Amino acid sequence: MKKFAIGCGGVLVILLVVALVAGLWLKGTYNNLVTLDQEVNKKWGDVQTVYQRRADLIPNLVNTVAGAANFEKSTLTEVTNARASVGQVKLDPNKAPTDAAQLEQFQQAQGQLSNALSRLLVVSERYPELRANQNFLGLQAQLEGTENRISVERNNFNGAVQNYNTVLKRFPTNFVGGMFGFQVRPFFASQQGADKAPAVNFNFGSPAPSPVPAGSP
Amino acid sequence: MKLFLIAALVSIASWSSHAAEVIPPKPGGYFNDYADVVSKEAALRFDEQLAQFERETSNQVVVAVFPKMQSESDMADYTQRVAQAWGVGQKDRRNGAVLFVFVQDHKMFLQVGYGLEGALPDITAFDITEHQIKPRFRANDYEGGLAAGIDSIIKAIRGEYQGSGKTVRERAGSSSGKLPFPFLIFLFVVIIFVIVPRFSRKRGYRYSGFGGPFIGGWSGGSSGGWSSGGGGGFSGFSGGGGSFGGGGAGSSW
Repeated sequence: MKKFAIGCGGVLVILLVVALVAGLWLKGTYNNLVTLDQEVNKKWGDVQTVYQRRADLIPNLVNTVAGAANFEKSTLTEVTNARASVGQVKLDPNKAPTDAAQLEQFQQAQGQLSNALSRLLVVSERYPELRANQNFLGLQAQLEGTENRISVERNNFNGAVQNYNTVLKRFPTNFVGGMFGFQVRPFFASQQGADKAPAVNFNFGSPAPSPVPAGSP
Repeated sequence: MKLFLIAALVSIASWSSHAAEVIPPKPGGYFNDYADVVSKEAALRFDEQLAQFERETSNQVVVAVFPKMQSESDMADYTQRVAQAWGVGQKDRRNGAVLFVFVQDHKMFLQVGYGLEGALPDITAFDITEHQIKPRFRANDYEGGLAAGIDSIIKAIRGEYQGSGKTVRERAGSSSGKLPFPFLIFLFVVIIFVIVPRFSRKRGYRYSGFGGPFIGGWSGGSSGGWSSGGGGGFSGFSGGGGSFGGGGAGSSW
């Protein structure tokens, strides 16, 4: 009888130890996933910040350029419209998207704006008064800087997503992930046709820009 | 055997592919002229100027002049990765700035760390590279251009942060050179109770008085010797672990 009780007690102790170990492992894994997930959200916030920075520069740029005589209206309108459509794609800045289609939509809107902007900058090369305008040159430097920042933050975001996804998909962490509802996150993919330079259509039928006044640099 | 041959072939094939990107090793000083475009005196002067600037403000400004850019990538992208790898700037303040010059490519870029983006925004960085440095570079005056660039950068970011009076390297050097305080106390005790009695045959308060000036001289001399040895070997630049967000601007001449 006694041996049986000891045996039961022994089994109970072993079970308790196993449960404790499993519990500790669960806690560690879950906390690790949470940390990585938060890191992804933080990096997403950084990405939103730099994209917002670019959006904020646009009105200033448009005003400066519109001030130049005879600037092609179509290019300006394209930029303004692209900026408006970017504003319409609203993603939560505090939580990275879990839906790949949503991220794709966001990327497309931003990509449209990028294309419109680069067209604007290329066209402005034809206007010597703009190229000499300090305001415009400053804005150009700021835009380039913002594009660099966007590139850096996207890379950082992709790195964070990769860390998170790798840990989440691994065995046996994937069980914990499934249990608590952690989802795989989508990346920023490089844009379709990013390897092609944007097409610039010079409208040769329109009147030539005003002649450069004598004495200007 | 077959596997070995395959492995050998693969490694040879990857060797012969086109030049890969090279991230240069961490710089030894604040002013690094890898293309020999300024005189030795000027290089030393700039180096000390920038080291002193770090002591005063904790901002780490590094200048790196290369003959050529070793990358197929965009200059802004490449220089951001290099600056990030070098860890210029204090880790918590991220106040680093690196001026990259590629002499044969006629390009330069001023990378600005996260913490200095307020004081040195892209417009100011562009103003420095385009209007301070570029005209002088165009006239082949590298020393003048770099001097003007360094002075402008310093002027822009002075006042943003307070320094500690020591560079990262000096702080690391002095802390490793100094003996830990409890050890010094222990040494002191050992000296009083073990070594001094050997010098004095008489007991009583006399031997502690006798040992006093001797100990003070000895331990003062030893700790002084240690830290000066550490300080002398630690001139030069050590990155503080700052990070870069892609801010800054560049020009070509």
